[in-house]
Amino acid sequence: MGLFSKFAFFLGVRKKEVNVLVVGLNNSGKSTVVNHFKNEEERVTEIVPTVGFSVEKFQNQNLAFTAFDMSGHGRYRDLWEHYYKDCHGIIFVVDSSDRLRLVVVKEELDLLLQHPDICNRKIPVLFFANKMDCKDALSSVKIAAGLGLDKIMDKPWHIAASNALTGEGLQEGVEWLTQQIRDVVLNKS
Amino acid sequence: MSSFKRDKKEEEDGGGNPFQNIEKTTVLQEARVFNDTTVNPRKCTHILTKLLYLLNQGEQLGTKEATDAFFAMTKLFQSRDVILRRMVYLGIKELSSIADDVIIVTSSLTKDMTGKEDLYRAAAIRALCSITDATMLQTIERYMKQAIVDRNSAVSSAALVSSLHLTKLAPEVVKRWVNEAQEAVNSDNIMVQYHALGLLYHIRKTDRLAVTKLVAKLTRISLKSPYAVCMLIRIAAKLLDEEDTGADSPLADFIESCLRHKSEMVVYEAAHAIVNLRRTTSRELAPAISVLQLFCGSPKPTLRFAAVRTLNQVAISHPAAVTACNLDLENLITDSNRSIATLAITTLLKTGAESSVDRLMKQIATFVSEISDEFKVVVVQAIRALALKFPRKHSVLMNFLSAMLRDEGGLEYKASIADTIITIIEDNPEAKEAGLAHLCEFIEDCEHTSLAVRILHLLGKEGPRTKQPSRCIRFIYNRVILENPTVRAAAVSAMAQFGATCPDLLENIQVLLARCQMDSDDEVRDRATYYSSILGQQDKGLYNNYILETLQVSIPALERSLKDYALNPGDSPFDMKSVPIAVIPTREEAEDKHKADGMIISSGPPKPPTVSREESFAEKLGHLPGVADLGPLFKSSEVVELTESETEYFVRCIKHCFTNHVVLQFDCLNTLSDQLLEDVRVQLDPSEGYTVLREIACPKLPYNETGSAYVVLQFPENDLPNSVGTFGAVLKFIVKDCDPNTGLPDTDEGYDDEYMLEDLEITLGDQIQKINKVNWGAAWDEAVATCVEMEDTYSLSSMSTLEEAVKNIVQFLGLQPAERTDKVPEGKTTHTLLLAGMFRGGIDILVRAKLALADGVTMQLTVRSTDGDVAELITSTVG
Ligand SMILES: Nc1nc2c(ncn2[C@@H]2O[C@H](COP(=O)(O)OP(=O)(O)O)[C@@H](O)[C@H]2O)c(=O)[nH]1
Ligand SMILES: [Mg+2]
Repeated sequence: MGLFSKFAFFLGVRKKEVNVLVVGLNNSGKSTVVNHFKNEEERVTEIVPTVGFSVEKFQNQNLAFTAFDMSGHGRYRDLWEHYYKDCHGIIFVVDSSDRLRLVVVKEELDLLLQHPDICNRKIPVLFFANKMDCKDALSSVKIAAGLGLDKIMDKPWHIAASNALTGEGLQEGVEWLTQQIRDVVLNKS
Repeated sequence: MSSFKRDKKEEEDGGGNPFQNIEKTTVLQEARVFNDTTVNPRKCTHILTKLLYLLNQGEQLGTKEATDAFFAMTKLFQSRDVILRRMVYLGIKELSSIADDVIIVTSSLTKDMTGKEDLYRAAAIRALCSITDATMLQTIERYMKQAIVDRNSAVSSAALVSSLHLTKLAPEVVKRWVNEAQEAVNSDNIMVQYHALGLLYHIRKTDRLAVTKLVAKLTRISLKSPYAVCMLIRIAAKLLDEEDTGADSPLADFIESCLRHKSEMVVYEAAHAIVNLRRTTSRELAPAISVLQLFCGSPKPTLRFAAVRTLNQVAISHPAAVTACNLDLENLITDSNRSIATLAITTLLKTGAESSVDRLMKQIATFVSEISDEFKVVVVQAIRALALKFPRKHSVLMNFLSAMLRDEGGLEYKASIADTIITIIEDNPEAKEAGLAHLCEFIEDCEHTSLAVRILHLLGKEGPRTKQPSRCIRFIYNRVILENPTVRAAAVSAMAQFGATCPDLLENIQVLLARCQMDSDDEVRDRATYYSSILGQQDKGLYNNYILETLQVSIPALERSLKDYALNPGDSPFDMKSVPIAVIPTREEAEDKHKADGMIISSGPPKPPTVSREESFAEKLGHLPGVADLGPLFKSSEVVELTESETEYFVRCIKHCFTNHVVLQFDCLNTLSDQLLEDVRVQLDPSEGYTVLREIACPKLPYNETGSAYVVLQFPENDLPNSVGTFGAVLKFIVKDCDPNTGLPDTDEGYDDEYMLEDLEITLGDQIQKINKVNWGAAWDEAVATCVEMEDTYSLSSMSTLEEAVKNIVQFLGLQPAERTDKVPEGKTTHTLLLAGMFRGGIDILVRAKLALADGVTMQLTVRSTDGDVAELITSTVG
């Protein structure tokens, strides 16, 4: 981070740019979540399954987010790690109505948290217990318990129940993430 | 001072190229900044440029290096800089074949190809198609279909061309886009229309009927794009060449009508097509030639070049038609573009009268030093044709060639001159003395070893039969004193030929060979010792077998046999007869080599020497059960078709002859998309005396694939007459019906079926291998002592010329003509054809056929063979 751009940031001349990684199993609603964060005029009307990844940009408060919306398909999960190193935050989307695959979610989460590029960093992780509108959806508390989030000691984390179709719960989550990134990442650097 | 120094150094390094000194490792290191959170587009663009530069210089990246660079590059998608994004597309395309998991950028690219930024769309399509694999293609299919019919012509073109590339990957998927391609053909944009036609044709090209329909439809509407029309002309011409319809096909009319198109490109394409059509008659040729004639006077050099180059080609097949352009060609002789001038002159040489040869040769002499080697070769080719056409002009032409030989020039050019001189010598006995003299002088300072060796070989072959053989020897011996070991060794061999052929020179040759035994090089000394001791025996038979006739076996096969023997010697001495004989290229093969001559088409870098057909068959057959025990492969026949070519199953046969066995190889092609064949085999009904030892089935034959089934047979034992016979044949197999799209069978249950094949013949020729006898007469004389002779007279009533008779006899017997006796001198009514070959089992055959023309052809056939039964087989089969 060059001196000038840091200055510019504090003077509010230029927005600070941060990268976040959006992960989770396929069909959990990642792309729908990210789409919702974008300006009204930039949103797409139809979400198709992501193949590989897609870069999206949105803003929250004074932060310019670059989101790497990853594909959650089995074939691509191994490729997430290529993007771990330089991200400032992680958004982990869980389909709370998909009880069957909650164990798979836990497995993937554990792999993520143990990865050398992640495990020693105090990087904020935001969980969305998505599809809360579905009738057999688990509550965010149950999801947190199922994933064993209470065992995450070295990273700030937060879980928010959400409905990506309506946007319910999303704003609360991203406010938290913005705050964390400001505190944890920027003030330190 | 120091800055001055640096400037100087940069200049020496090649000046302006800023990428001169970049290094792979450095660039890959720099590429890590792609991972930075904030992308600096200018910097990243520069690094990507360097990376692309390296890759285009042929720098190789390992998989890990490429994958790392690739994933770093994917992060650049966060930048919205247009230039950088387009560089990323290029990078993706370059790395797509080396890096792993490149499909990671699929969504990013589909987003760009469907997005609002027009500058991204076409390039994103191209990049996308380079990273896609067959499984991914389904997911992008929808976008490709949309893109093909996109309003933006760049997008549509990119999608069409990319689809064309994708047909290699997944032809079945791309086939489904045919409706979109059809729509794109109607585009107003000339490129889109052209590319759409290209794709449509490619999709349909294996289906003749569909292509015919396509062409019929498109020739009726008038396509707007001249490129598309050119393409259509090519397709139409191909169809015309393949079908045998009469002269007034609508396709021919279409091509003819294009001669009046408003675009010069189309007019040229049409003329070019007409000129090259196999069926074109001189009447149809005339309008095409007049168009080319017109182009000869065009102010545009490209048009003049195209026209004269095409005329140059036609001059071989239709010299009379080109004569009409002689005046225009004369004007082009002085064209400031040397390439045009050269082609004009060489065309005139091909078509001109004998009287104009001297004038044209003078004309060429004025600028031959100014043109490139490539065009000099064109001139040499023209002179070769001329010499064959006007034998009496040999001295002018020969002088010209020898002057060219003395000039500067590369190996290819020099070799083509030497080749031409050799052709002239072989063709025209009167030119021989002068030609050999020129070659003798040439080797005095020939810098190309390979060429010197070839010429020395020729001098050894032809020199002894000249009026003054001793003259040649002086030139040859000079090489022994002055040259490198390779040339010296060749010179020693050449001298030995003189010793063996000219008794009065023998003593001198022995003196020279004795000196050569003191040479510093092993090979030279070995050869001198070898020849000297054979010549010391004073035995004609030895001379014939060990000096005059070179080894007839295939050299790679000999090498392999010797290696096997050395590893596993056994008790018996090495048997030369067990080594397969070298296969003599057929006349067509030899001529094919010259076909491209005179057309300025580079054939690319020289290809590595390929193994002979027999070699590769031997290799393949050796893996079949039981075949390895049959001994060496003696001969593989030409391919025989056992079905019509457009039937459900297409079967061809190659007959592999061994000493006592024949292996029949049936190559079967399944053309039914809804059938999977299994256990495909051929059931034979062999003729008397043959025993079937083994049938080898082809386990699986999916649609559009060729598989081979085999049958191993033993020749009739001690019964040569029955070795020539006709077999009935039936193709047997199990059919499993399947889904044409996936090729997967509907059920596991199949049913038996069979398919009648045409009868298969084992001929005399299948059992005979050609042998090239340099000195046929000597071998014939010597054979009196060792061979059985059979003689018979035949009346070949169906033949009306000697040429025809010669051609048929050579083909029927499968023997090699010697001493150029397959060429019947013009105007003769009698001719003697000399042939040589070997029957399976290493039995020598010499045949003399005396032919006389009178109401058909009468032939007296004399056969000398080491085996009486073989001689009898030949005389009886001919009858
Ligand atoms: N009912 C419901 N459906 C959702 C919600 N979020 C996403 N979806 C649907 O889930 C499917 C998968 O969404 P997508 O964003 O492609 O998931 P991704 O694979 O994680 O990117 C889509 O059909 C969405 O419309 C949600 O909160 N509630
Ligand atoms: Mg997605």
